[in-house]
Amino acid sequence: MKFRALMQDPMYMREFQAIVATLAKLAKECIMILGERQMHFIVNEDQSSTSSPLVWASIAAEEYFPEYRLETARPDQDYIVLSMSSANLSRALSVLRGGGISSCKLKLQRIQFPCISVIATVSSSAVTEDREVVHDVPVSIIPASDWSAYVVPRVPNSQLALCLPSVRLLRSLIDKLKNISPSLEFQASYDGELSVIATSEMSTVTSRFQRLVPRSLTGSEEGASCSVDSRKASAFFGALQLPNEEMTIAIEREQSIHLQIYVRQDVVLHSILPAVCM
Amino acid sequence: MDNPSPYGDYKFVGRVDHVKIFNQAIKSICFNDYGMLHVSDDGLRITVEQGKSIQATLFMPPAAFKEFYVQDFQSFGLKMNVLSECLNLFGSADCSLRIMYCDQGSPLKIILYPYDDEDVSTECAIQTMDCEEPIDYDLELKGPDLNVIFVRGSNLSKVFHELEKSAEEFEFITSPDRPHFKITTVGIMQAVFSVEVAKTSPMMMMFNCKNTVKARYKSHHIRLTNKAMQSATKVAIKTNSIGLLELHLVMQGDGQEEIFVQFYIIPLLNTE
Repeated sequence: MKFRALMQDPMYMREFQAIVATLAKLAKECIMILGERQMHFIVNEDQSSTSSPLVWASIAAEEYFPEYRLETARPDQDYIVLSMSSANLSRALSVLRGGGISSCKLKLQRIQFPCISVIATVSSSAVTEDREVVHDVPVSIIPASDWSAYVVPRVPNSQLALCLPSVRLLRSLIDKLKNISPSLEFQASYDGELSVIATSEMSTVTSRFQRLVPRSLTGSEEGASCSVDSRKASAFFGALQLPNEEMTIAIEREQSIHLQIYVRQDVVLHSILPAVCM
Repeated sequence: MDNPSPYGDYKFVGRVDHVKIFNQAIKSICFNDYGMLHVSDDGLRITVEQGKSIQATLFMPPAAFKEFYVQDFQSFGLKMNVLSECLNLFGSADCSLRIMYCDQGSPLKIILYPYDDEDVSTECAIQTMDCEEPIDYDLELKGPDLNVIFVRGSNLSKVFHELEKSAEEFEFITSPDRPHFKITTVGIMQAVFSVEVAKTSPMMMMFNCKNTVKARYKSHHIRLTNKAMQSATKVAIKTNSIGLLELHLVMQGDGQEEIFVQFYIIPLLNTE
């Protein structure tokens, strides 16, 4: 079983760091699924946590890693599945936030115990020789027999998706709305309006986002709505560390809300907020 | 038939350009959950009382509104923390807002439009309740024998800030003779701490005291005025002969419009 990957572009390194930092804010543990072409991270895959939503990130290896080598345990297997502390991984990658990092290697190795080593090469103008900053993040290798519990979540069959150009206002609103009501109703209309409604005994607060770009996923021009747990929604929005402002909000009628942030074309952060009964 | 009004069924419509000062003023009088809202041609008043010992009123004259329309006299009760929560939805982002009210039993609608994004708006429908009549202290403070002092808000706020936090009672002396204006705190251990402000002090904007008035107030009541004091530009301190205290604060919004917050505080019985 072997894995190594190399990043060189400072912007990509910062994005990668931001993705992991977002996950670290959502859960203690994260699952890393290494495939031949893609790397996935999943948090709260068992959805047992009541206040944190299921979030996953799928990264096309060739986007971020000019060098990406994977050798699975057995030739008939497609993946390496690891579980680790998201905080440890995030801390190891936090070195990428600073400047002067010329490259970063991720390497699966066994140093008494299995770990992912994050090796950042720091070059500075003052010193001619490069320095290496190494963090070894302990991981547990998930045996193939248990993989069925750790599959990349299925994207829901949403009926209508709206593209929100800036997540900033919605994020601060949701943070406030969670104090008003334990559930938030999201209503999307085909003419590009998203309403987020919080109802309490004493007030009804309706926030409208207009002129969004709608995308029907079923061909129908009907609207869709779904009520979700406000704490879960707030946890996701509050955790975001990405530089991206744009978000796609897709609604599967009365089932779930699927939030997507395209960090790049093939690097996507997803979250699913399941419906709650009103 | 007569012309339909552009306001439809609404009996009160008000528009404010910047939510900030309104929000600050509401926060500064939010010491009780139940508030009474009165609106007439004179302007908008929101009154909060605690027991029968302190009353605060936010007053916004029609000039503080960009648009102001009212039919007859409207009054209703509402939850202050709900109102404050709604005004605060966009945090520090500046918004303009519209306030609308139909009739007895209908909700108070507040629509916020953040300046950052013209495609976003938030409408809050706040349940209203039956209105109780606030106590009218104004009559008591209309006589000719009032002691009136105008001071700069930021200075007074600093003076209060320096006074002992644990004190239970505050004593105010206003007098035509020295020490003119004196605040004394009486702590648990009977420790005494006082601040004197001479009428020649630069923080005095106007001084008009005819009689010596000495009265004690619960420090808790005085401290309820803190938030308002911090954002006030001017404060008028008025007392009548029995020591009923009125603090009349002027706040200035971003568009130079002035809104007012009045506190009436009942003195403690003289035990000396």
